[in-house]
Amino acid sequence: MKTTMLSSLARHAKRQAGRLWALGLAAGLAVTMAATGPADAHGEKSQAAFLRMRTLNWYDLKWSKTSVSVNEEYEITGKLHIMNAWPAAVHIPDRAFVNTGQPGAVANREAVFVGGQFAPRALQLEVGKTYEFRVVLRARRPGHWHTHVQLSVETGGPIPGPGQYVDIKGNFNDFTDPVKLLNGTTVDIETYKLGNIYLWHLLWYVAGAVWIAYWFSKRGLIGRFAWVASGKGEEVVTPQDRLVGAISLAAVLGTVIIFYAITVSSYPNTIPLQAGDFRNIPALAGEVNDGPLKITYLGGSYKVPGRELVANFKITNDGKEAVRIGEFNTAGLRFLNPDVYTTKVDYPDYLLAERGLTLSDNAPIQPGETKEISLTVQDARWDTERLSGLAYDVDSSFAGVLFFFTASGTRYPMEVGGPVIPTFLPV
Amino acid sequence: MLRDKSIKTGACPVTESIPASPGIEGGAGSNPPVAAPNIGALAGAVSGSPFTSRAEAATAVKTADLLLIIALFLIMIGGYHVHAMLTMGDWDFWVDWKDRRFWPTVLPIMLVTFPAAAQYFFWVHFRLPFGATFLCLALLTGEWIDRYVSFWGWTFFPITLCWPTSLIPMALYLDIVLLLSKSWIITAIVGSMGFSLLLYPNNWVILAPYHQASEQYGTLMSLADIIGFHYVRTSMPEYIRIIERGTMRTFGKDVVGVASFFAGFVSIIVYFVWWNVGKMFSTVKYMETI
Repeated sequence: MKTTMLSSLARHAKRQAGRLWALGLAAGLAVTMAATGPADAHGEKSQAAFLRMRTLNWYDLKWSKTSVSVNEEYEITGKLHIMNAWPAAVHIPDRAFVNTGQPGAVANREAVFVGGQFAPRALQLEVGKTYEFRVVLRARRPGHWHTHVQLSVETGGPIPGPGQYVDIKGNFNDFTDPVKLLNGTTVDIETYKLGNIYLWHLLWYVAGAVWIAYWFSKRGLIGRFAWVASGKGEEVVTPQDRLVGAISLAAVLGTVIIFYAITVSSYPNTIPLQAGDFRNIPALAGEVNDGPLKITYLGGSYKVPGRELVANFKITNDGKEAVRIGEFNTAGLRFLNPDVYTTKVDYPDYLLAERGLTLSDNAPIQPGETKEISLTVQDARWDTERLSGLAYDVDSSFAGVLFFFTASGTRYPMEVGGPVIPTFLPV
Repeated sequence: MLRDKSIKTGACPVTESIPASPGIEGGAGSNPPVAAPNIGALAGAVSGSPFTSRAEAATAVKTADLLLIIALFLIMIGGYHVHAMLTMGDWDFWVDWKDRRFWPTVLPIMLVTFPAAAQYFFWVHFRLPFGATFLCLALLTGEWIDRYVSFWGWTFFPITLCWPTSLIPMALYLDIVLLLSKSWIITAIVGSMGFSLLLYPNNWVILAPYHQASEQYGTLMSLADIIGFHYVRTSMPEYIRIIERGTMRTFGKDVVGVASFFAGFVSIIVYFVWWNVGKMFSTVKYMETI
C-alpha cells in the first residue's frame, strides 16, 4: 500500500512537474522584480579598469549647481586629457563627441564648448593633448539625476566621466526651450509646430481609414473571398469603384502637390541638416606633462585583497621650486595626499579618497634633486568603482595623472603609468 | 489563403461548409445583400447547417469579418512595425535624421515590402485594393503608440523630436494604381516609383518648419539639428547620424529627386520580390499536417 501511495504521488508530481516549474519560475521572477531599484547610473563602472584608467583623464571638474529649478541653466566644466597610454582596445578619438550622460532628456543640452569651440557635432581630438570643456544644461524634468560628461568615441563607444547628482525642482509643464531663428523669430522647440504634426497625421490617418472602410463595407472579407474563389473576380470591382479610386487618386496627389507648394512658399529659406566634423580644436597649453619634472616608472604591483596599488617612480625636479605630490587621479577617482590637501575638496564623495595616497617619502623634492618614491594608492573605492578588476584585465597596466604642487601654489599635472604585477593572496 | 484543391476546380468552399451561409452574398457592411453566383442553391437552410436562419448566418459572417480584419490589423501592427524599426529605425525616429539623401532612400525601399505582400493577399483573394493602406495604417498606429507612450511618456522626448514619417498618401497611391491598372507589374513599376517619389513632398509640410536656420554660437544649424542636439540621447553620439553623406556632389542642393528616383528603382525590384513573398505565404498549405 505504502509503495502504491508513493508511486501515485510520484506519478502525480510528474504530471504536474511542468506547471510547478512554471509557477516557481514566475514566483521567482516576481520576487526579483520586487527587489529592483531605479536604474540611475549609466554603466560607468561596467567598462574594464584599464580602459577607464588609460583612455581619458578628467580633472578640475565642477558642477556649477547641484540644485536647480526647471528652466534654470547650470554648467559642467573641466579639463579632459587624452592619455598617451591610450589602449589598443579602443580606437583613438579622431572622431568623438562630447556627450552628456544622464537618464534621458532630464536637462536640455544648450551648448557644449571644447577648447572654446562650440561643438554640437563630432570633433577630432589628439592623443596626448589636454582640452578644456564646458557643457551648458537647462533643467527640464524634476528629479534627482546622476549627470556626467562623457566622451563617445566612434567605434570605441562611450567613456563616461565622473558623475554628480543634480536635483531639479519645479513643474515639468513649465519647461520651455526658446531658440532664435535667423529670421528673428523665437520659437519653443519643445512644442513648435506640434499642432501641424498632429493635423497632417490625423488627416491622412482618417483618409486611409475611410479608404479601408469603403472597401471593407463592400461584402467584407468572407463574401468577397467566396465571390473571387468562384471565378468571378472581375465582377467584384465595379466601374463605379474604379471611378471612386480615380477621384481618390486625384485628391491624394492634388493635396500633396498643392500643400507642398504652399509650404515651399511659406518657408522659402530652409537649410539642409548640418553635418561635418570639427577639427583643429585648440588644446590647452601648460597642462599635463608641461611641468619641469622627469618621471621614470620603475614598476609596480597591485594587491588584490588589499585594493592597493604600489607604483615606484624616479622623479627629477628640474624646476626652480620644490614640489610635492598631492594627488593621483585616474578613471575619475581622486586619491589625495592629506599632507598637501588640508582643506575640504568639493568633489562627489563616492569618487574622492581624501586620504587615499601615501608616499614612501613625503618630503618635497628640491630643485635639481632626483628621488625614488614609492607611491601607495589604497582605498575601498578601488572596489566600489570596480577598478580592482585591473588584475584580471587583458592589459594589466594602470595609468593616471599625478599632481605636483609647489609652495607658491603652482600645479604640475604629469601623466604616469605602466604595467603592474598583481598579488592575489594576502602577503 | 484558404484556397484548396476544390477552389482550383471551380467549386466554392463556403457553400460546402456553410450551406446556408450568406457569406457569398453579404459580408460585413453588406447592404443590401446582392445575389452572387450559386446563390440559388443556397436559398434556404439546408439540413446539417449550424445556423437556424439566414439572419443568424449573416451575423456570424459579419462578426467573423470584423474579427478577421481586427486580428490582421493587430498582427500587422506588430509584424510590420518590427520590420520597420529594424530596417529604417533612426531615420524615422528622429527629426535630425530626416535628411535629403538617406531618409527618402531608405524608407521607401524598406517600407514597400510588406505592402507589396499585403497587396497580393488582399487583391488576388479578395479584390480589395487596400493592402498598402492597411499596412501603413497599422504601422502608423503602432508607431504613434510607440512614440507617445515610449518616446514621450517614458523617456520624455518631445514629439517635435520623434514624430513618425507620414506614409498614407504613398500607400493610397500604391493601392489606387493597383485598382486602376489591375496589374501587379504596372503597380510595381508605376506604383513603387510613386510610393518613393511621394515621401518627401508629402512630409515636407511637416518637416519644412524644422529646416529653418538659426545661428548658434557662430555656427549655422537647422532647427532640427538644434532639437536633436538639445534633447540628450546619451546612447546616440552625433557621429552615428548617417545623414547627408555620399558622393552626389554634382547635384548640388537638388539631391532629393535623385535619392527618390534611386529609391523608386530599387523599390520596383523590392516590390517584385515581396509580391511573390505574399504569394508564397497566402496559403494554408504549410499547415496541412496539423
